[in-house]
Amino acid sequence: MNLFSFNYLSFQKCTLAQKYALALYIQTQTVFKKHSFFLLFFGLLIGLVLLGFAMTPYDPVETNFLNRLSSPSWKNWFGTDQMGRDIATRILYGAGWSVGLALIVSTAGAVIGMIIGLLAGSLGRFVDGFCMRMTDSFFAFPELIAAIVITGVLGPNTVNMVIALILVSWMRFARLVRALTGDIKQRDYVVQAKLNKLPYYLILSRHYLPNIILSVVVIWTSSWSRTILSISGLSFLGFGVQPPQAEWGAMLLDGKPYMLTAPHVMIFPGIAVLVTVLILNLMGDHFRDHLQSSEK
Amino acid sequence: MTLNNFMRVALIKAISLILVLLGVSFLTFLLYYYAPGDKALAIANARYIGEGSASVELVEQIRLETGIDRPFFVQFYYWALDLIQLDFGVSLISQEPVSEIFISQLQETMELAVLSLLIGMSLALPLSLISVWKPKSFIDRFAIALSSIGAAIPSYWLGLIFIFVFAAKLQWVPAYGTGSLAHLILPASTLGLWVLTSQTRLIRSFLLEASAAPFLEALKIRGVGPKELFCRHIVRHAFVPFITMLGLDLAYLLEGAVIVEVVFARGGIGSLLVHSVMSRDFPIIQCIVIFSAVTYVTINSAVEIFQWFINPVSR
Amino acid sequence: MLEVNNLSVRLQDQTLLENINFKLSRGETLCIIGESGSGKTTLLRALLGLVPLSLGSVMLDRHVYQSPEQSQIGLPSTQIVMQDPIAALNPRQKIKRSIAESLYKSSLQAVEIDHAVLQALRDVELPESLENRYPAQISLGQAQRICIARAIVAKPDILFFDEPLSALDAIIQKQIAQLLDRLKKQNDLSYIFVTHDLGFARHYADRILLLNSGKVEEYQDVNLFFQGPESIYGQELLEAAYILGSLPQKKTEEFRVA
Repeated sequence: MNLFSFNYLSFQKCTLAQKYALALYIQTQTVFKKHSFFLLFFGLLIGLVLLGFAMTPYDPVETNFLNRLSSPSWKNWFGTDQMGRDIATRILYGAGWSVGLALIVSTAGAVIGMIIGLLAGSLGRFVDGFCMRMTDSFFAFPELIAAIVITGVLGPNTVNMVIALILVSWMRFARLVRALTGDIKQRDYVVQAKLNKLPYYLILSRHYLPNIILSVVVIWTSSWSRTILSISGLSFLGFGVQPPQAEWGAMLLDGKPYMLTAPHVMIFPGIAVLVTVLILNLMGDHFRDHLQSSEK
Repeated sequence: MTLNNFMRVALIKAISLILVLLGVSFLTFLLYYYAPGDKALAIANARYIGEGSASVELVEQIRLETGIDRPFFVQFYYWALDLIQLDFGVSLISQEPVSEIFISQLQETMELAVLSLLIGMSLALPLSLISVWKPKSFIDRFAIALSSIGAAIPSYWLGLIFIFVFAAKLQWVPAYGTGSLAHLILPASTLGLWVLTSQTRLIRSFLLEASAAPFLEALKIRGVGPKELFCRHIVRHAFVPFITMLGLDLAYLLEGAVIVEVVFARGGIGSLLVHSVMSRDFPIIQCIVIFSAVTYVTINSAVEIFQWFINPVSR
Repeated sequence: MLEVNNLSVRLQDQTLLENINFKLSRGETLCIIGESGSGKTTLLRALLGLVPLSLGSVMLDRHVYQSPEQSQIGLPSTQIVMQDPIAALNPRQKIKRSIAESLYKSSLQAVEIDHAVLQALRDVELPESLENRYPAQISLGQAQRICIARAIVAKPDILFFDEPLSALDAIIQKQIAQLLDRLKKQNDLSYIFVTHDLGFARHYADRILLLNSGKVEEYQDVNLFFQGPESIYGQELLEAAYILGSLPQKKTEEFRVA
């Protein structure tokens, strides 16, 4: 059966397996049409990064003093740093640090914020008051200042940085989820579910969660990109991922003394941060537009 | 009636403000209390630098003097008592009063913040106004591109680029240090660009939202010209959310100042914070953290009261 | 069957309902009418246990509740159909699951629940294929039928309606009204309507409960009420409706199905 030219009659004649295959094909096609730009872009990017991992002959931390601070060339696309390490390779590995850690932080923040927001919005006034005053208290500290202080006091390393960033990132989610939940609580379908004596956990999982999750995803992508900026910023200040690990901010911190003689040491990691955050922001905008148009 | 209503709103706000301030100070103390390491030993070492490790007797003496061994809530009580009197103690390193160090550094940060706000806003306002007035024009596209790229630029990297281009290559302005206005130009431009991009995005979205308001259709039918419509109605309508967000952004300017100050090796609250955290100078850390939180909370409350006066719906 | 004695609801220091008394026997239809803010919906919510009652008692067969704590539990074998059918259905839940939710407390097996859901869809004259759709994919009239299906699937004794027709077009209103009539005869149900549509009340009710600012103005047989209300408020109300033409002078019989 030709997938590209089918009509209803031939669909009737299909076997069950073919029908499933066709349904799957149509579904992926509609998803692809809606989000084609991003799927292409994202796929290309992930492909490039993976290809880079496979192709690069260099190690991200192994030093080679014979080849220090060499300018970009065909051998080292983005040049080498003060210890002769290939910057392109380090940026590839740095993607794992920045994007991966930020993913952990924003996901953990989303989960904590959702739990607190759901409790505050769906339970009584006392729980609500307590949770929201707590959220306000955490919110009062500017994100970066709080993160610097927490990592600095606990001891500057990657784990403490992740803890600190989770502590400063959950409030956004809590506020959003609290607002959405408070709204849903008044809806007739929740009232109906209560009249039908559904237990609290089922009302949460069937009525509250499915109706807030899309909005949470939008905030989650923006939190993801913010966290990438925070991680590299903290590492640049010396509070995050420590050199010689190939984190983008740590690379900048490392290369700062050499930037006048070998500017490529600091230019490329910065561009990596910029491009990654830009892509994630665009993805978030795209999700938000999609959500808004689906709500109308 | 309205005033009575206002008093009630103000009372509720005041109570929740006090609760939040209590929460803020509690969290700050919690961090200090559970910070790893022997605090008495750290104080002893800091006070008598150059004599090697402090003696056991000295550490014990400091332990008694500062009451570090007492239970959590007792310590919190005395700590909060000092806090209410705005007594942050003395720096562990220099032994100078924290408030003096803080105020001297605050001035530099304020200079930076005010100048960058001026730079940012003087560009952001015309840019976003033109962008909404002439949609799809070159300026509009430029504003959109600028605000999305600007949100993704790491400010420390931008600072380094500025230093590289304007200080090292072109040698127009000095790169590091404090003193003259020339020293201030690069840091203020770095921070100002952040203000520019974030404000352009916000003002633009407020203006767009205002120009989609249904009452504008009625005005159009009545024959109000597009110029008057834009200048009198749309801009005025976007003004309230603009002021609201500006208040909150002021508080976040402090955050941007931290990184910029470190990159340009300037003095100020930000670099003071980073140095104090590195040397674990707790009184200074606490002072800065509480200052930033209180600033945020106060601005937030002020904005809410402002909104209450401006917007009849929220009453 | 249902007996309400001296029911009062107070929230904070406001009296929302005061001293409400009425009875409802099996197969009967009661219409609660009154202007907005008169306490109609509060009464409905109090009967369902969503608002705690302050005084009085509610008795359904042998099940009684008198105290605020008891009233939180609500009455067994009652269901409600709300005004806005789209708001009453979770937009992210399939129709099937929305209907099956009413059977949560029943002792039926999963298969039996599936059958009951399909039967309920047939009862409200909807195609069975609708069960896999989401609320955004059906029309307003269909959504209201789904809400009715959700109510009847639990086989209640009493069905409550909060303005069930006011969000719908006239033709669909008529269809739904006929459907409700048929379901009532089929299942021997009792209905309690909250409405401000006097014409509908005259066609439909056996008894009228007229509320004004939380008090019962009149509790009367429907024919007696529309022939001549005893209370001054009731007279004013009917007069206004006749003048505006929102209530025809004569009752039309063809509205009901045989």
